[in-house]
Amino acid sequence: MRTSGNITIRGIVQGVGFRPFVYAKAHGYGMRGTVKNLGSEVQIAACGERFEEFLRAVAKGTPLSRIDSVEVTPLAGEPPAGFTILESKAGSRSGFIPTDVAVCDECIADITAPGGRYEGYWATSCVNCGPRYSIITAIPYDRERTSMDVFPVCSPCEREYTDPACRRHHAQTIACAGCGPQLALLHADGTPVRAAEPIREAAALLDAGAIVAVRGIGGFHIACIEASAWTLKRRLGRTEQPLAVMATPEEAGRIADISGDEWKQLESRERPIVVLAKRDPDAHASISNLHTIGIMLPYTGLHHLLFASLSHPLLIMTSANLPGYPMITDLGQAVERLSGQVDYILTHDRRIVNRCDDSVVRDGFLIRLSRGYAPKRTPIDLGERCILGVGPELNANITIYRSGFAVTSPHVGNVRNPATLAYLQETVEKIGGIIGADYDRIVHDLHPQFLSTRYARELAEVTGAELLAVQHHRAHIAATTREECVGIAIDGVGYGDDGTIWGGEIFAGCVPDYDRVAHLEVALMPGGDLATRFPERMLYGIMPTEETRDLLASRGWSEVELAVLEKQVAKRFNVAETSSTGRVLDAASALLGLCRERTYDGEPAVKLESAAYRGRAAAWNLAFGSKDGREVFSTRSLLSEAYRRMQAGERIVDIAASVQYNLARGVAAMGVRAAEERGIPRVALSGGVAYNHAIREAIRAEVLAAGLEYVINKEYPLGDGCISYGQVVCGGSAER
Amino acid sequence: MKVNLMHGAGGEVMGELLRTITNLKNNNAGGIGLESLDDGAVIPINGQNIVFTTDSHVVSPIFFPGGDIGRIAVCGTINDLAMMGGRPIALSCGMIIPEGFEIADLERIVASMDAALGECGASLVTGDTKVLERSALDTIIVNTAGIGIVERPVRDNGLAIGDRIIVSGTLGDHGVAIMAHREGFEFGDQIRSDVSPLWSLVESAMAAGEIHAMKDPTRGGFANAINEMARKSGHGVVIEEESLPLRKSVRSAAGMLGIDPLEVANEGKVILGVKPEDAEAVLEAIRSHPYGRDAAIVGTVVEGSNVVMKTAIGGERFIEPPIGDPVPRVC
Ligand SMILES: [Fe+3]
Ligand SMILES: [Mg+2]
Ligand SMILES: [Zn+2]
Ligand SMILES: [Zn+2]
Repeated sequence: MRTSGNITIRGIVQGVGFRPFVYAKAHGYGMRGTVKNLGSEVQIAACGERFEEFLRAVAKGTPLSRIDSVEVTPLAGEPPAGFTILESKAGSRSGFIPTDVAVCDECIADITAPGGRYEGYWATSCVNCGPRYSIITAIPYDRERTSMDVFPVCSPCEREYTDPACRRHHAQTIACAGCGPQLALLHADGTPVRAAEPIREAAALLDAGAIVAVRGIGGFHIACIEASAWTLKRRLGRTEQPLAVMATPEEAGRIADISGDEWKQLESRERPIVVLAKRDPDAHASISNLHTIGIMLPYTGLHHLLFASLSHPLLIMTSANLPGYPMITDLGQAVERLSGQVDYILTHDRRIVNRCDDSVVRDGFLIRLSRGYAPKRTPIDLGERCILGVGPELNANITIYRSGFAVTSPHVGNVRNPATLAYLQETVEKIGGIIGADYDRIVHDLHPQFLSTRYARELAEVTGAELLAVQHHRAHIAATTREECVGIAIDGVGYGDDGTIWGGEIFAGCVPDYDRVAHLEVALMPGGDLATRFPERMLYGIMPTEETRDLLASRGWSEVELAVLEKQVAKRFNVAETSSTGRVLDAASALLGLCRERTYDGEPAVKLESAAYRGRAAAWNLAFGSKDGREVFSTRSLLSEAYRRMQAGERIVDIAASVQYNLARGVAAMGVRAAEERGIPRVALSGGVAYNHAIREAIRAEVLAAGLEYVINKEYPLGDGCISYGQVVCGGSAER
Repeated sequence: MKVNLMHGAGGEVMGELLRTITNLKNNNAGGIGLESLDDGAVIPINGQNIVFTTDSHVVSPIFFPGGDIGRIAVCGTINDLAMMGGRPIALSCGMIIPEGFEIADLERIVASMDAALGECGASLVTGDTKVLERSALDTIIVNTAGIGIVERPVRDNGLAIGDRIIVSGTLGDHGVAIMAHREGFEFGDQIRSDVSPLWSLVESAMAAGEIHAMKDPTRGGFANAINEMARKSGHGVVIEEESLPLRKSVRSAAGMLGIDPLEVANEGKVILGVKPEDAEAVLEAIRSHPYGRDAAIVGTVVEGSNVVMKTAIGGERFIEPPIGDPVPRVC
């Protein structure tokens, strides 16, 4: 039985109330000694009869901590009497910084307790809750290295901060109405609204239909009640796009059919937007014209207070930014950019150091990896090299590997414009700086024109790191599993080895050596990206027939446009080739008259999915061929069949369901055959199309029916938010 | 490695080829030489600056709406001289003609050359002709070289911070016209090439104000030229999308095909970087010229290193030098 020792606990142990937690345990077990924080490790020197019990207790950690290892060495010399908390020091940086989490129940109780010190204070937090990543400038995480540094604590706060018995002992974000950040309600032009209670006033304005920008944890939201949804969408110029809402739990339950797991996610510390099936698929159409709706619960003191004053149980809460651009974090910018969109701005004076969008989850899969989840830290052994993955171009984030951990940043956005490129760069610098990265290898997408590729080259030149290009869909599979597998990547577009555009690919092998063994039939994309924007072009690219021509003519295409399209395809003028799954769904959506122009990411495909949700799928005959020794599933015959059934008067919703189902069957059949031929026991699935519930489940069922193991990664997005991680995994596995 | 068609498509791939074929030690005759890859060379002789440039022309088809290979061959060289600020004086012409070429077509080409020369008071003073067998060549190649004189040469690298960027008219006309004609696209309205000699337009622009840089947006279009100007000056450029002059028919044709009108060739346009105080005067001078009626101030030189376009909907995007065929990138 030991009675003393030096305990070193490594992991995310900073900013999570670890030292007060240790202190409290030391008190409980009658230990003498010290505790100090060295960035990503806590060192405890302890001595006392109940040392072993104490050790077991501290090894459990706090709710927000992540413990990688616990090590005990003999204690040299006598520790002092009593137990003391020592100053933080920088130390090693492998542990990294905790994420922003929702306000905890105890803090909500503090806010609502009448007469309490925190009554009605919007920025109340404690060691177990509140902002972290969004306010930190450097580690170790201490108040002077956060944007709370400009709010010196008052003496009651100081007393709680230093009181080991208090929940806010060493809570770096401690603040009260007397000393902490303050709210202000402004007109859209930035001039103040005279209001004694900004939250109550903002709630009244919202109830009356006003559109209000609300500064949150990681950026600005634009909020309004449901009745103002159309006004907001018109002002944003996004009339088709579904918007996320924040609702009380009761209202969420009234709107959507929520499973037990989904409730857990809704109420989790991460508080993501959860995409849920509406009880009535046609309800709340002004918010979402799909069968789904994205709902989040209030996650800050401000939100709780706002809802307490609001008579409506729901607010539309969409992030304030142009689609694909970084969310606005700064008041000046909000005034400048939002003046035509919002009527008022509810803001506060706590600086947002690191932008962080709301995370989005559907069926337990991350659609957007951001607030609460990111920076995401995954223990993985990729060797000694420090590796940066710069991601793809759309829905990008970055991942840095160093000494046994991969760290993935929050969502960055579409790296197609100067602002987002700058944000990507800033994210690399910040997270790289925090964890002390010094790159040996930088991995980028194979696409020659991606701005992220260009950035990777520039950074490699500056740092002397070696460059590695990884094909997009191989990165998808590498992000899913490192075991030997058949990998199915069903996706939008990714630049392929042969210079064509891939996106419906079957690989076989083990990271980083994946052979492309099968794919969807190669179709034409007339006008390149233009065919993504106008899915009817894609329809013609897949089925360049008289029937398609007549269909387009009946939809209002002019003779001039049709003749140009026809000639463009015949002459292959500015026509790309693609095996993308997303483009097949787009074309089906166009065929069925569900979407003619894509106005937001994935619109044709999600509209197809929403139609299919109401229909019943039937198994059709599938046609397979081969090209260059690879099996090919004929999407042309799939769409021809859909066309035939449409002409025969079959219900659109049933055809939609069948297109999805048979596409999934075709893809799964190729995957299963590839696995059986090669004796590979498992099939991995990734790619943005896998968010489609019906398609994913159909593939899963086929794989399992064939007696194979089915692998999918719930820790990273199925879409392009997993690419930077997959790049790093490939980068850590490729010898050079 | 072998030369492929991408090497001639302008943009970055062609840049690699250029590095190989300009790898000469003897590349400067005392003024501006090959090393600067400007529109032409400048050779000081007895206190006079001679501008010298050359260009070979292959166009398919050789006759197209708005011009023909003869007009392009003359205008190409005259415009390169003009881009250096040079008054064109004399041109040479080398023709390589395939066996079987129609004499009547040659007559049309030569008449067209003569007309273009006449527009700016230059002369074609020397020449050379080769006829090749059908199997060796399937189209006519016209090379011209020319000399001009200039007092103060204008470079393509002289953009200064604050300079306004002026384009002398609608962009993309030539490239879209050629493409439509060659591929047989019917866009409704016929689109005509803008091929024209720009000396007199440039002359009046230079008389109206201080011009820091000039370049003609030929191969690779406006996107390529403005990037080259920005890169060579070491500054950035911000372009306002809404101010870019585009013919409706060109915009619509490019829109139908999914190509960017900023990335296709012009043969009668100039991009100028003008001292801000003089921008309005220069714009006026250009607009009063028949080839400059649609001229516009389209942007500003800023600190930085990229060409960024402020889009109509309030966003920003990079204008990048085209690299051959565009590859889809939208997920
Ligand atoms: Fe992808
Ligand atoms: Mg020049
Ligand atoms: Zn709390
Ligand atoms: Zn206080």
